[in-house]
Amino acid sequence: MSAILAAGITHWFGSEPALEGIDLVVERGDHVAVLGDNGAGKTTLLRILSTAMQPSAGGLEIMGLDARRERSRLRARIGYLSHAPGLYPALTAAENLAFFCNLRGVDRARVPETLELMGLTPVARRRAGELSRGLQQRLAIARATIHDPLLLILDEPDASLDADAPELLARVMQKRTVVFATHDQALATRLGHRTVQLRKGHVMGAGSRLHVVH
Amino acid sequence: MNRYLVAAAAAVALMIVAAAFIFLFAPTDALQGPVQRIFYLHVSSAIAAFVSFAVVVVGSVAYLWRESIVGDRVARSGALVGVVFTTVTLVMGMMWAKPIWGTFWTWDARLTSTLVLWIIYAGYLLVRRLAAPGRQAARFAAVVGIFGFVDVPVVYFSVTWWRTVHPGPVIATDALPPEMLFTFLFTMACTLVLAAVMIAIRYRIEALTDALPVGMAVRTPPPASLREPTSPQVGRIS
Amino acid sequence: MRSIAIALTVARKDLLSEWRSRELVPALAQFVVLALVIANFGFQIDSRSAPAIAPGVLWLALVFAGLVAFGRAFAAEKEQASLEQVILTSAPAAAIFAGKALAAAALLVLCEAVLLPALSLFFGTPLSIALAAAVFLATIGMAALGCLFAAMVAQLRAREVMLPLLTLPLWIPFIVAGGQAVQVMMGGGGSYGQALWLLIDFDILFVVLTSLAARFVLDE
Repeated sequence: MSAILAAGITHWFGSEPALEGIDLVVERGDHVAVLGDNGAGKTTLLRILSTAMQPSAGGLEIMGLDARRERSRLRARIGYLSHAPGLYPALTAAENLAFFCNLRGVDRARVPETLELMGLTPVARRRAGELSRGLQQRLAIARATIHDPLLLILDEPDASLDADAPELLARVMQKRTVVFATHDQALATRLGHRTVQLRKGHVMGAGSRLHVVH
Repeated sequence: MNRYLVAAAAAVALMIVAAAFIFLFAPTDALQGPVQRIFYLHVSSAIAAFVSFAVVVVGSVAYLWRESIVGDRVARSGALVGVVFTTVTLVMGMMWAKPIWGTFWTWDARLTSTLVLWIIYAGYLLVRRLAAPGRQAARFAAVVGIFGFVDVPVVYFSVTWWRTVHPGPVIATDALPPEMLFTFLFTMACTLVLAAVMIAIRYRIEALTDALPVGMAVRTPPPASLREPTSPQVGRIS
Repeated sequence: MRSIAIALTVARKDLLSEWRSRELVPALAQFVVLALVIANFGFQIDSRSAPAIAPGVLWLALVFAGLVAFGRAFAAEKEQASLEQVILTSAPAAAIFAGKALAAAALLVLCEAVLLPALSLFFGTPLSIALAAAVFLATIGMAALGCLFAAMVAQLRAREVMLPLLTLPLWIPFIVAGGQAVQVMMGGGGSYGQALWLLIDFDILFVVLTSLAARFVLDE
């Protein structure tokens, strides 16, 4: 069973096409890097894959489940890092994570471990609004992984992170299926098993034999 | 000749016949004089408006429940036609009020709720315009359309619960002489036909504009052959 | 039940955030007091007209405070981004919505705790449990409706003008019934009991409807 099977994913914003006929196959354990300029459609594609958004047209199957009908079940197994961190500024780092644990029905004991994993233990009691952008990004990644998802969708995970980003992200991506968007070509080849290049909503380029493995 | 043109012509013809009845057949009211003839079209418009908004609710529920695009189009059409008829109702009401009550407007229960109804469905049309075209617009408008319809019972309920200046339910209490009753029922029927034709024509317009790729949910179910992408050349390259 | 737990978690989180930042409640409280002061200049209020005018002033202040309070529950940019993450936890939309509405209602009730005594103080109208009960009941329904449309409007353009446009028509039944109840308690005529029952009926109707509608507004 493939992790992701996408066929003909098309999306319009009004009369503006954002994605046109994207086909994608991601096997379990694959790390796929999505590259492309701003406006190419990376974020739109990732939002669709994370079930945050439904495409205008096209079929999507994630972990064998139809992404339209089984969203509830799927969302429990997917972690999504969006462009904007979307944290609660008045709550501490630990409280932010605890809140999402409560929502997901996940044991709150995971909060300290996850904070530790992301190097956030020193700031656990600091309000999220006071953290630097880099630490906020780590916290957002922590939130995306605290429920141990099988599939991770990360939109520019390296943004604002410092030099140890690749190691951190490699740890996070271990043993999971990951689709991540980035501007950084080097990071893409380092962390990704293969790449998908998007331009103006289309899949492009030599690396686009999408069911090629490694 | 295109069937929509035929239907429109027939509806208009019916309205002209109704007008004939109103002015030639129905007797003049003893108390209010000729201006009372506004009653026929005024109340018919009100009923046509309510029926149109009921159509909006049906379409909206169909959309929310089944993602029925037809339902959404029906709702859109019904809302527009309903707002038109509500406007007619309000204007005719004001024209009638001035000579009879001495003022164009009072804030009694029925007038107020009809005005509010107008505002709500004008809001429906605005929400459609302001939301992301396609699914979001349809979803949000459907919610507004259904909630707004709750206002309709308030209109009826208000006549009884509040003291009101507006004349009570005259139809139901048999206070109308038979010629007037007939004229009213006939006018109401003609107006409903007109409303139906207007909704149908609007529906057709919406269907044609939807066919342009403007992001409306063109929902294709996951193809049976999802197992293998179709060809090596996956995704169009521009 | 998981839904209730989720609603309470969300409500607690919102209230905690507000407590830590202390932005909304002080602003609302000042606003209502200011509204009362202006009403004094705008209307000819003396001890005879007070019972007739005070209910109107009360509801006017409450409506505007409500629009602000409920609008804020969903408006902030960050709030929208984090709301998406909350939806993605597959928590039921109705529960999330209930939590937010609960918190917003609680904040408005805090504001009412300032408004009602101030009203009594400035206009000399009697203050009673019955009066507070009517206002409280109306707040529930208004919160449900206000928050539903605030959630919708936060995703639209031109949101400032859309919230009152969509919400006020639906708040009218509450203002009518609540206004009636308040008027009776301030010495006017009419039936308090009937008005109260109406408020309860409207509350039930709209709480149920908004809970059902929540998933269409919050999620796709």
